[in-house]
Amino acid sequence: MAAMKTLPLVVPGEVYDPSHVSPDWIRISYASAIALRFKSGRFTRDFEFGGINLLLNYSEGCKSDCAYCGLARTRPGLYEEKSFIRVDWPLVETDEFVRRLKTHEARLTRLCISMVTHGHSYKDTVDITNRIRAAVSTPLSILVAPPTLTRARIEHFKTIGVDMIGVGLDAVTEELFHKLRTDVPAGSLHWEKYWEVINDARDVFGPWKVNAHTLVGLGETDRDLVDLFSRLCERQIFPYLFSFNPEPDSRMGEHAKASLRRWRRIQLAKHLIEMDGLRNDDFGFDARGDLVEIKAPPDLVLRAVASGVPFMTNGCPGPKGEPGCTRPYGSYRPSEPFRDFPFLPTKEDAKGIDLDLALEGLIGLDRHKVGD
Amino acid sequence: MSDRVVGGYTIDVDLLYDGERHVWLLILGEGRARVGMDPLGVETMGDVVQMYLQEPGVALNRGAAFGTIEAAKFVGPLTMPVSGTILTNNQAVASDPGLLTRDPFGEGWLIEIEPSDPAEFDLLVRGEEQVVEWFESKVRDYGAKGMLAE
Repeated sequence: MAAMKTLPLVVPGEVYDPSHVSPDWIRISYASAIALRFKSGRFTRDFEFGGINLLLNYSEGCKSDCAYCGLARTRPGLYEEKSFIRVDWPLVETDEFVRRLKTHEARLTRLCISMVTHGHSYKDTVDITNRIRAAVSTPLSILVAPPTLTRARIEHFKTIGVDMIGVGLDAVTEELFHKLRTDVPAGSLHWEKYWEVINDARDVFGPWKVNAHTLVGLGETDRDLVDLFSRLCERQIFPYLFSFNPEPDSRMGEHAKASLRRWRRIQLAKHLIEMDGLRNDDFGFDARGDLVEIKAPPDLVLRAVASGVPFMTNGCPGPKGEPGCTRPYGSYRPSEPFRDFPFLPTKEDAKGIDLDLALEGLIGLDRHKVGD
Repeated sequence: MSDRVVGGYTIDVDLLYDGERHVWLLILGEGRARVGMDPLGVETMGDVVQMYLQEPGVALNRGAAFGTIEAAKFVGPLTMPVSGTILTNNQAVASDPGLLTRDPFGEGWLIEIEPSDPAEFDLLVRGEEQVVEWFESKVRDYGAKGMLAE
């Protein structure tokens, strides 16, 4: 499949004051900044948006050094100049942020605090959670930094009003995790600790209240992904899909992202595992581990594709179970095709998805008639 | 050039404006006009990160795209306020889109054209009173839609 190259997307940052650190200051996603009117702007397509993402901020930055991350310790440049997920995350005062949450509460669907690996991260996350919880009742997730946590700390998150926990596993095999997150120039992370936190969070928060982030395009095979999705869903843990998007100047800055065909097929496979109970045995792979067959009734697969749901952003739900965290343009530029849709794809979008998927070969439509 | 502050933005009320696309037109003389984007149009896109402008020599109808503009969460066409042929494009703004924000009526101009139908000038918003009224209403409208920072 053809590799895709993209240009960096970095917007000008603000003048940085080193005293502006968490818990009194936080970074928020660009989309969140628009929604809360910290920034002017709009989305190319018109849709409701209420998923607010915030990120802890420290002068020393993140203590981890993941090969693909914009915040990696050894990525060139000052921390305050670094982009995260390739766009600027504006720095705002926490109390003003909370005030605006209250002002715009009616349109908010989900809040998420992203921890970073730092000594103050846990206590600051608790502080910020308490400030938020005192103001609004919007569902609140934490994307945790496992090295900073113990089981007791995870339990404490639940008592202060957090309803979902995310763990950024990112690399889906132990070998890949070691290569990209453990055997790195600075700030090693450990596969075992990540799973310890996933397991503890699952125990504490219960079924379908924990999610593991999986990044497609780091060097894993389709089989690796499907195996992990199956294992997670068996345990009622959501796999959330993210498309690797190279951060300029990171150690993987020149690494190509997954082709749209591969990405769409992985989206579909994950949906079928999560929503229709398929497991790894229901998929066929070639010698390289590429997905080449879905051994499910074609009707089932076609219905899933036609629903458009597999291709929407994976994120924690809103108050009524609707997609709550939709991260528009989170892993692709506005000028690129949607990787994940922050809304239900339209009929026009569906045509593009069909072309991307090239489903016929995967489900044997070239061998069987639909409904056989 | 007559500047006025309207809704918090400094605008040139002597120019002609495409009321929907926030593209301005400055008639430079017989057969030549300059095209740019007004500050409200620029701001409501968000931080502009990249721009593409059509090459000189291309003839386009009113409303056709003479370029594309990409911001942090937005991409869209730049459209001709009137029909005409592109005479030149501003390479400075193409390589530094920040010029659009810093100097939208000056160094941030986009293209110069030879208009093909001067009658189309009448389709644009023109005259100080009309320009001010139109611009004020747009500021209110975009504010209500949540496109402007507070």
